[in-house]
Amino acid sequence: MTRGYALVTVKEEGQTILFQTESFDVNDLREKISFSKEMELWISGDDQQYEDTLKLLNEAREENQAKETFLSNMSHDIRTPMNAIIGLTSLAKNHLDEKARVADSLNKIEVASGHLLSLINEVLDMSRINSGRLSINEEQFWLSDLLHETLTVSKPQMAEKQHHFTFKTDNILYESLYGDTLRLRQIFVNIINNSVKYTPDHGEIEVSFSQEMQDERCVLCFRCQDNGIGMSEEFLKKVFDPFERANSTTISRIEGTGLGMSIVKKLVETMNGTISIQSKLNEGTTVEIRIPLRYEKAAVNDKALKNRNILVLENDKEVHDRILSYLQEYDLSFKETTTFNGAISLLTDSEFANEKTDVLLLGEIGEATGDLFDVASYLHKAHPEMTIILVGDQDWNDIEYRANRSGIEHFIPLPLFRKSLINGIAAALKDDSHDHLTGGLDLSGKRILLVEDNFINREIAKEILSSTKVDLDTAENGQEALDKYLSDTHYDAILMDVQMPLMNGYEATKAIRSSGKEDAKTIRIFAMTANTFAEDVAKAKEAGMDSHIAKPIDVHKLMQTLKTI
Amino acid sequence: MQAYQEKYIENIKEIAALLDVARGGDPETEKIRRIEAKKKSEILRKENIDLLNRNLFTCLDELHTVSEDAIKELEEFSDVLMDWTTNLDCGIYLLIHEALLTLYRFRKDRNNIIKELYKVGMGLYYQNRSVQGVESPLTHSLYFEAEMMFSEASSYLKYFAEIPDEETKGYIIRSLANIAICTHDLKKKVDISRKVLQIVQDPYYQELAPGLPWDVFLRRTHQQMSSNRAVMSRGNLSAEELASVLESCQYVFEPEAHKGDPNVRWLWPYYEMEYSCGFVDIDTTLDRMEKLISDADEKQFDASAMYANCQLPIYYGTLLKRNQNIRNRKRRLDYLKDAYDKMMRVAMAYPVDDGIDYFSYLMTLIITDYYETSGVPSYKEITTKLIRKLSGVSYLRSLVAQKIASYLCESILSEDPAFFDDIPFIGEEKDIQRKKELLCDYGENCALYYDFGLLKMNLERLMRSRNLLEREYEIYQLHTVSGHDDLASRESTEIYADCTYGHHAWYDGVNGYPAEYVRNESVYRQMTDVIALVSYLVEAYDNDTTKNVKEIIQTEKKRFSPVLLAMLMDDEHMGKIQSLLEEQ
Repeated sequence: MTRGYALVTVKEEGQTILFQTESFDVNDLREKISFSKEMELWISGDDQQYEDTLKLLNEAREENQAKETFLSNMSHDIRTPMNAIIGLTSLAKNHLDEKARVADSLNKIEVASGHLLSLINEVLDMSRINSGRLSINEEQFWLSDLLHETLTVSKPQMAEKQHHFTFKTDNILYESLYGDTLRLRQIFVNIINNSVKYTPDHGEIEVSFSQEMQDERCVLCFRCQDNGIGMSEEFLKKVFDPFERANSTTISRIEGTGLGMSIVKKLVETMNGTISIQSKLNEGTTVEIRIPLRYEKAAVNDKALKNRNILVLENDKEVHDRILSYLQEYDLSFKETTTFNGAISLLTDSEFANEKTDVLLLGEIGEATGDLFDVASYLHKAHPEMTIILVGDQDWNDIEYRANRSGIEHFIPLPLFRKSLINGIAAALKDDSHDHLTGGLDLSGKRILLVEDNFINREIAKEILSSTKVDLDTAENGQEALDKYLSDTHYDAILMDVQMPLMNGYEATKAIRSSGKEDAKTIRIFAMTANTFAEDVAKAKEAGMDSHIAKPIDVHKLMQTLKTI
Repeated sequence: MQAYQEKYIENIKEIAALLDVARGGDPETEKIRRIEAKKKSEILRKENIDLLNRNLFTCLDELHTVSEDAIKELEEFSDVLMDWTTNLDCGIYLLIHEALLTLYRFRKDRNNIIKELYKVGMGLYYQNRSVQGVESPLTHSLYFEAEMMFSEASSYLKYFAEIPDEETKGYIIRSLANIAICTHDLKKKVDISRKVLQIVQDPYYQELAPGLPWDVFLRRTHQQMSSNRAVMSRGNLSAEELASVLESCQYVFEPEAHKGDPNVRWLWPYYEMEYSCGFVDIDTTLDRMEKLISDADEKQFDASAMYANCQLPIYYGTLLKRNQNIRNRKRRLDYLKDAYDKMMRVAMAYPVDDGIDYFSYLMTLIITDYYETSGVPSYKEITTKLIRKLSGVSYLRSLVAQKIASYLCESILSEDPAFFDDIPFIGEEKDIQRKKELLCDYGENCALYYDFGLLKMNLERLMRSRNLLEREYEIYQLHTVSGHDDLASRESTEIYADCTYGHHAWYDGVNGYPAEYVRNESVYRQMTDVIALVSYLVEAYDNDTTKNVKEIIQTEKKRFSPVLLAMLMDDEHMGKIQSLLEEQ
């Protein structure tokens, strides 16, 4: 006896329904299945119908078999991270007094949870697709953003396996497209990650994107080629079947549900696209996807860029040439260099010629000793009037904090397209009242108390801060600062001199922190002092100050600090 | 200079003298002198901090409003703090010039910006030299920042004719030349020096600034270029670039080398250049070195004798290390042993009071490049002697630390004989008495070496002169990494490296440094926990002798191993540790 399904048509309602049964013997079915009196069971005696029914039954059996295999796989795949989570949680509980050990366990739990979540998401996706509940959104997006995000997700795994990665774009007709970016990214990331997984370390992976027109739609053509383990002809036929995974002795522990390719195919088809795969065992695989998308001819806002001077510092030849060709296309004024020394030299030229450099497009730097943020920070300090835009393939979320602290205000992602570059620069400069000295910092609606006993220092700070539109109040010593703080006035931050008559900055801060006023513990207090003895910096923190700004005040440092309020 | 500036300089010199005087002689007398020196230097240190707080910091706070005379006095003060031959206080020098640079940028005062860019660049370069050889983002960043300063100042070269001020022109040339000292890229170094050589010999520039010391610029640039001689075979230099290095070597060394009685300090670089260029082979070079070393009189302590007796043996060892397959290796190694023995005899007899800066440099050279191999004295033997010779007041602390470490090891072992068994050579020992001896010896040595990295940093005088500035404190933290790297790379000291690396890390891993130290990954972690406790106790007590050991532990409980504290927090142990601390 084989456990399976029987397909039975209920005559009265004309429905075909599936019953689980122990037997496939049609004559036995009548005896095995009990029906309510209202339903009359009809099983055709017609041979063709009988064959059809049997075929359906066999298909149901195969699907059932696959589901069992899937459940067995899933059971293993879910259990593995779950075991890690349970085991590590227990380990952490047993060593609560050892923070390092607890932190180590939590980190591992985080990784295992992430893996588990992705498994669950894929299963849910598959379920949605099978039940026809998957909806595709259509919203405007920039192609550059989609490609940047796709590569940002895939690159770490690629780096881990030390693959040589080549990325190409060709014949990009429209950069502003309409589609479901979440699902598009899911498709591309899935294919690229498969290449990463199924290619032994130090492999070759090439990804390219291009566009062509078809029936008034812009077809986004994606191609991913690798020299990985490839697929047998037999497996290639089943590659889109759910729950199928390639086995390999050369790649150990390939994780996944076996649902990825199936989901990709369904998603591509839902978007009216096509997917094709060419593969040879031990030679590699090429996946091609074509998805027709709605597009728009995005306007380029280059007006804001007229009469602006742009400096390009980019050591990557391909990106460098591309930036230059786009800037030339829009007839924009620029100077270019590939090194930090070159940039310094060009900025000196501008200064001598009394020319203002409005924008620095900062890409890869050639110097071996320093990093990008050191360069940005230095240039911003030396030329605070210049807007610095980073052009790069980094994940902005990862670097935003450090970038901002270094004076980088905007980011244009790679791969680079003409409109995203031009509009990116324009957006950075769009506000004509943008004050570069303050890095465009807008503190309108914020109130700051400046505590400083020296009149000139107060005036200088006032002048620097005036363009931030901050509501600035002043006090001449710690006591006055304390009195003002304790009044009804609300302040968002206090800039506190340390050495002052009547009450110094430490005492004033301590008094504010212990005042009991609602925001006494949370209001940001920044010390302003030339004293940078490590012990005194620690003392300032102990007194309740959040950080300190060295004196004489450096505009760059002051602005970076105030960005945090 | 203002009175406080003169007083500050006087105090720094006096503190240095006090620390230097406190070395050598009879142990008991030495101990008394050290204690007195420490007390006196502590008073001066407090006075210095007060002088800076009341005067310098106030002045920098209000720099926008101070008079031009006050700024001039600041510059004079900074010039004495660092005059390129004596580094009295590079940190304060840098603080002053960074403040001045900010001021002049605000004022858009181009000439002064150029000058200050040069000065800040020099300050950063000198500050970084104290951690030479330590690979860390901080050291890279300091060198790069210095390079950026010099690059900005030198970018005004194309406006040389338009800048009327000759002094500013000098800073532009100097800045350009100094880019070469900040970069590790050999090709860039050579390119920069070649460019400078062209400029300083170009009549166009000379006529624009006839008052500049062009001959000095020329000599210095050749010297700078010639310093690439030892590594030029490792870079991808073109024929023209190689020729430039050779030309500079000939310019600098040849006249001296061909004198009747050439100075060894010029002769060896000349030989080295000949070897690096392939004019002579390794055997000839080693023979030449042996002659120079053997001919040197070990009773003399002048610069040439010290060079031959102490520096050349280190270079000799480096060449043997790099050339593992030379002929007569056994004979060469025997010679190396004799050369190292001579080096140590001279180093131990060297009158430190006459030249502490030179001795610190020599110490750094030995610590960094000593070649530990079979037949020569071990690195442990050499460094132990040097520590005793140089570390002055700090050595007193390390003696106490050794006693406490030994006491703790013995006490812990008696409570839990398997406590240190993760340490392979301790765990393997079954005889309890022998295990105790091994452990106590190990603990004592770990206590001797935990601050080993500080020896190369030459920060002791600074720390005895005033509080460390924020950036100096970041540099100071690198002593854990530097000490670890040197100890770990030699067989005789590798077992002490972990304690040096982790003795400032907190047990819970949340605070302390370096961030790279992961307690759970080390088999030596139990001893590192002990040394972390010992080093903290000794330092805390040294800073404030009224402190009670129990209070110290209670207030800082989170940083220490709870297992260790559970074993030691009773009156008997605390009392014993307290009495050992008081011996300090």
